[in-house]
Amino acid sequence: MILQFLINGIITGILYSLSAIGFALVYNTTRVFHIAAAALYVVAAYIFLAFHDFGLPFYISGIIAIVTTAGLSILTELMVYRPLYRRKASLNVAMIASIGIMTIIINAIALIFGNETKILNKGNQQALTFDGIIITNPQILQAGIGIISLIFFFIFLRFSNFGLKIRALSNDTTLFEISGFNVQTTRLIAYMLSGVFLAVGSCLTFYDIGIKPQAGMPVLINAMVAMIIGGIGRFRSCIVGGLMLGILQALVVFQFSANWQNVITFLVLVLFLFFKPQGVFGYKKRMV
Amino acid sequence: MEYILHIIITLNIYVTLVLAANLPVGLANLLSICQAAFYGIGAYFSAYILMHWNLPFIVVAGVVMILTGLSSLIVSFASIRLKGDYFVLASLAFQMIVFTILYNWINITRGPYGISGIPGIKLFGKVSMSGIFDYFVLTTIVSSIVILLFDHLKKSPFGRILTAIRSDELEVSSLGRNPAEHKNYAFFISAAFSGLAGLLYASYISYIDPTSFTLDESIFILTALFIGGIGNIKGPVFGALFVVILPEILRFVGLPEMIAANLRQIIYGLVLVIIMYYRPQGIMGELKIGN
Repeated sequence: MILQFLINGIITGILYSLSAIGFALVYNTTRVFHIAAAALYVVAAYIFLAFHDFGLPFYISGIIAIVTTAGLSILTELMVYRPLYRRKASLNVAMIASIGIMTIIINAIALIFGNETKILNKGNQQALTFDGIIITNPQILQAGIGIISLIFFFIFLRFSNFGLKIRALSNDTTLFEISGFNVQTTRLIAYMLSGVFLAVGSCLTFYDIGIKPQAGMPVLINAMVAMIIGGIGRFRSCIVGGLMLGILQALVVFQFSANWQNVITFLVLVLFLFFKPQGVFGYKKRMV
Repeated sequence: MEYILHIIITLNIYVTLVLAANLPVGLANLLSICQAAFYGIGAYFSAYILMHWNLPFIVVAGVVMILTGLSSLIVSFASIRLKGDYFVLASLAFQMIVFTILYNWINITRGPYGISGIPGIKLFGKVSMSGIFDYFVLTTIVSSIVILLFDHLKKSPFGRILTAIRSDELEVSSLGRNPAEHKNYAFFISAAFSGLAGLLYASYISYIDPTSFTLDESIFILTALFIGGIGNIKGPVFGALFVVILPEILRFVGLPEMIAANLRQIIYGLVLVIIMYYRPQGIMGELKIGN
C-alpha cells in the first residue's frame, strides 16, 4: 500500500521537477520572480486541449502547445521584462509586473474558454496492475515523457554551447557580460526553454486531472517550493526538490489526509528558509 | 441609494486594508503577500467574538486588533530573518497555511461552509447596528480615523525610520535604532488594522467563508496598493478607489456579468504592468519600489 503512494509521489515529483525547471530557468538566470509562469502553465494546457478537441493527434497537439507557450514566454520577455531590465528597474518591479501579466493571461484564457474545469482525457482510464499496485496509463505517460525530457535537458545543459551560456549567466551576470557574450539573447533562450518545460509539465499534469484557468498558481507554488528545498542556483536540485516534495506529499496523504498537504508543504518550506536557505545542495551564499 | 452606500462601505473597508498594507509593503519595502490572511484572521476572530459574547464595538475592535496583531508576530519574525525573495516566499507560506487552516479545520471554522448569521455590531450596550445606513456611518468614521492615523504615522519618527529601513537597514542600526523592533511594530499595526477591516466586513456581510481570504485577495490588495502608489496616504486611498469603482463603471457600460468579471481583472493587470514601466511609484505614490 505504501509502495503505491511512493510511486504516485515519484510521478508527481517528476511533474514538479519539470515545472520547477521551467521556473528556475528564469529565476536562476535573470533573478526575476516569474509569477507569470503560472499563467503560461495554464495556457499550454488550454492550447493542447483546443487542438486535441479539434481532432489532431496527441503528440502533434502537444508539440503545438509547447511551441506556442515558448513563443508566449519569449513575448513576455520582449514586451515586459526586457524593457524593465533596460530601464534598470528593480527586481521587485519586475515581479509586480509579472503579477500583472499573470492576471491578464489567466483572465484572457477564462474569457475565451470559460471559468469551469475542462477534462482533457475523456473516457475510462486504462491501468496496469502489478502485485496490487495500480499505475494508470496517464501516469506511465507522465513518467515516461517526464524522464525523457529531463534527460534531454541535462544533455543540453552539459554539452551544448547554449547550455554552457545559460549556466554561466546563472552563475554571474556581470562576468558574463564583461566576457563579451550577449545577455539579451541568452535571456531569450532561457525564457524560451522555460516556456517549453512549463508546457511539457502542464500538458502531462492536466492530461490526467483536467484544467481550469486558476489551476496554475497552486502548481507554480509547489514548483517554487521544490526549487527552494532542492537549492537555488543549480538545475539538478530542482529534480531532487521535486521528487522530495512529491514523495513527502504522497506520504502526508497516506498518513493524514489530502487536506493538510498544503500545511505540511509550507511548513517544510519555512523550515528550509530558516535553517537551510541554500537548499539540499544549492550554493552557499548570503540571503540577499 | 442603498447601492451607492454599499459601494462606499466596500470602499471604506478596502481603504483600511490598502492603507494597512502600505505600512510594511510601501514604507518598509517588505513585500508581504499575506495581507488577506490577516484580514481573514480578523474576520474569523470577530465572527467568534460577536457570536459568543455581547460586547460593545470598541471592546470587540480592541480584542480583534490585538489578537490579529499577535498573529503577525510570525510574519515579522520571518521578515527579520529573511531578505528579498525569501521573505516573499515566507509570507506566501503564511498566507497558504492560514487559508488551509480556515478551510480544513471544520470544527472551529466550519470550513468551506462558512459562518453565517454573524450578529451586527453593538455600539454601546443595547444599541445594535442594523441596516446599511448605520454601517455606512460606522465604516466611514472608522476609515477616516484610519486615514488620519496613518497620515500621522507616516510623518512620525516611526514612519521615517520605516522609510529609512527601506533604503539602508544597516545605517538605521548604526544610528542606534532597532530595525527588527520597528518591523515588528509595522507588521503589528498593519495586521491589527487588516483585522479591523475583517471585523467590519464580517459584521456587515454577516457571512464569511475562507474563499474571501485567498492568495488572490492578497494579490488584489497589493494590486490596489501598487496602482494607487506607495509611501503616502493619497496613493493607497486612490488605489482602493480605483479597484472598487472600476467594476461599477464597467457595470454601467453594460457588459454581461461573466465577461465583466474577467475583463476588469485584465484591466487591473494591464494597468499594473503599464504603471510598473512608466511610474513605478504608482499613480499618486511618492516612494519608488526598491530592491
